Amino acid sequence: MSAAPIITLIDYDAGNLASLEGALDRMGLAYRRATSPDQAAATGPIVLPGVGHFDAAQRSLAERGWWRALPELVAEGRPLLGICLGLQLLAEGSEEAPRAAGLGLIPGIVRRLGPGVKVPHMGWSQVRQHMAHPALPDPKGAWLYFVHSYALEPSTESVYLADHGRPFAAIEARGMVMGFQPHPEKSGRPGLLLLQSALTWMGARTPVPEEPCN
Amino acid sequence: MPAKRVIPCLDVKQGRVVKGVQFKGLRDIGHPVELARRYDAESADELVFLDISASLEARGTRESWVRDVAHELSIPFTVGGGVSKVEDARSLLRAGADKVAVNSAASLRPALVTELADAFGRQCVVAAVDVKRDPKLGWRVYLKGGTEPTERSAKDWLWELNELGAGEILLTSMDRDGTGDGFDLPLLDWASELPIPLIASGGAGHEVHFLEALEHGADAVLAATLFHENLLPIPRLKAYLAEHDLSIRI
Repeated sequence: MSAAPIITLIDYDAGNLASLEGALDRMGLAYRRATSPDQAAATGPIVLPGVGHFDAAQRSLAERGWWRALPELVAEGRPLLGICLGLQLLAEGSEEAPRAAGLGLIPGIVRRLGPGVKVPHMGWSQVRQHMAHPALPDPKGAWLYFVHSYALEPSTESVYLADHGRPFAAIEARGMVMGFQPHPEKSGRPGLLLLQSALTWMGARTPVPEEPCN
Repeated sequence: MPAKRVIPCLDVKQGRVVKGVQFKGLRDIGHPVELARRYDAESADELVFLDISASLEARGTRESWVRDVAHELSIPFTVGGGVSKVEDARSLLRAGADKVAVNSAASLRPALVTELADAFGRQCVVAAVDVKRDPKLGWRVYLKGGTEPTERSAKDWLWELNELGAGEILLTSMDRDGTGDGFDLPLLDWASELPIPLIASGGAGHEVHFLEALEHGADAVLAATLFHENLLPIPRLKAYLAEHDLSIRI
């Protein structure tokens, strides 16, 4: 029997794992926490959550060995989903930490929101489709929950866009690397459906109950 | 602009949601998780839990219900009550709260707000401020649930909180709280000039009051009894607000 893919949740003191785990439990997706790369599941998507400062998160990931390991895992074809600050860390860099580089797994720079709007952008905003994606249908103006002061500039390959003073990338995807600026685990039912559909597309599976022996 | 938010506020004591009943103390109205599920289903945009447990042991039970709520709830929630150091906030955020609210402790030691913002980002830091109209100061800041006057003017304090690193202000008018006469609109007029989001609290008695508060610049409206007693169901309130051309998540 081959091991079913299990979602690896990166645990580095910069993410709200309790909420994410609750969401995965409600969807019936199998996951495990991993503080270092050697604890990652052998297959299945890796989720990089994140709240807080870009450079603090970057340091914390580096101390735990993830900063080196993530590009290698992605090069081996492992799917990677960044959420909120997790998305920003995937980019090339951020104005929040001009001297620290990002992982560079998604092209583009993360820039501060504003001027002319309240920052942080905190609350429910509507998203719209920009590019078609096999896992992410037209959101049709769905409301998702955002909490952030910086955002990735839109690109021609942004999947969803949202606006706060200016348009920004709400969901960005490059192959099996994907980033969500909103918190899908905090966005009610539409958020859970998006998370489920992204993770399932990345290979996550609902655990199959064991068959009885006879 | 993000949608205007409708936020039920829940008082928690020793792990149970309670409601004050005049002259009769507190009545138990359920487990935080039950209420959280109900409000999630009713399309509340966010929840605020204020833990009014006095003793330290009671605080210990807090992490456990915060964890349960985080596990069940698919909308954001704030937890406040007795947060006076970074470690208090860390344990709440670790348990799954999205934001922490600070009140008296921030007024007594303003650096706390900066420490929290530095440790967790300002989006995690809600500064709760209780104010009363005052002939000398315009609006005066009160501590300890509105029982202890300070020498601070609300206007100065709100701008200072913004400078210190608060990500959001939860502003309660003690004059209006519990009256059902509507929010203190002149208060909201100037407070909404702050560059950070403003949650209006105190005085909601009718759906038109919420509309007024949002039209006077509040980014979110908070109430307790109206929602707990189902006097004004949240879906009805949100439909009403949307009919009046506000940006509302339905």
